[in-house]
Amino acid sequence: MDSISPEVAEGLKNLSPRDKQELNTFVTQENQKAQIQATIHSLTDLCFRKCITSKISAGQLDRSEQPCVQNCVDRYMDANMVVIRHLEQMRTMQ
Amino acid sequence: MSDAKSAIMDQIRQQAALSNARALIEKVNEHCFERCVPKPGSSLSSSETTCYTHCMEKYMAAWNTVSRTYLQHAQQGVAAAGGAQGVMGSI
Repeated sequence: MDSISPEVAEGLKNLSPRDKQELNTFVTQENQKAQIQATIHSLTDLCFRKCITSKISAGQLDRSEQPCVQNCVDRYMDANMVVIRHLEQMRTMQ
Repeated sequence: MSDAKSAIMDQIRQQAALSNARALIEKVNEHCFERCVPKPGSSLSSSETTCYTHCMEKYMAAWNTVSRTYLQHAQQGVAAAGGAQGVMGSI
């Protein structure tokens, strides 16, 4: 991680409330984006492992790999929902 | 005064892009080394290099497909929750 230069740090102290608010929103959004990207990385990792199993001989996804990757993500989301629903059910049972 | 603000925003954007690229490179290497260089010799052979190029392209194609498919879900989720969709468009 790069550190913040002294000039920038000094300038940050003198931000207007409006600029501070704007910066806050920006950081929250960037954080959200980073989280989404992290999920995409781990899903790609998972689905590449599952779907690209034959010998790698071309740069594109072939006719079976493309739908496999799509299904992989779709079913992962379904499975995620099953977990959430089940937990919800357990919670209301108590 | 807003100079400091845009400076910090630029720095955040740069670091985000850098860590995203780093994560991608790491994953590509992990998968493609496994797949293309099963028995490391004294140098990378031309067939290993070709395999690596294909593997990289394939991995990125998979990344794009996953990204598109996942964002559809995420957007539906956000729309269902009635929240701000603004974040999704800029990835």
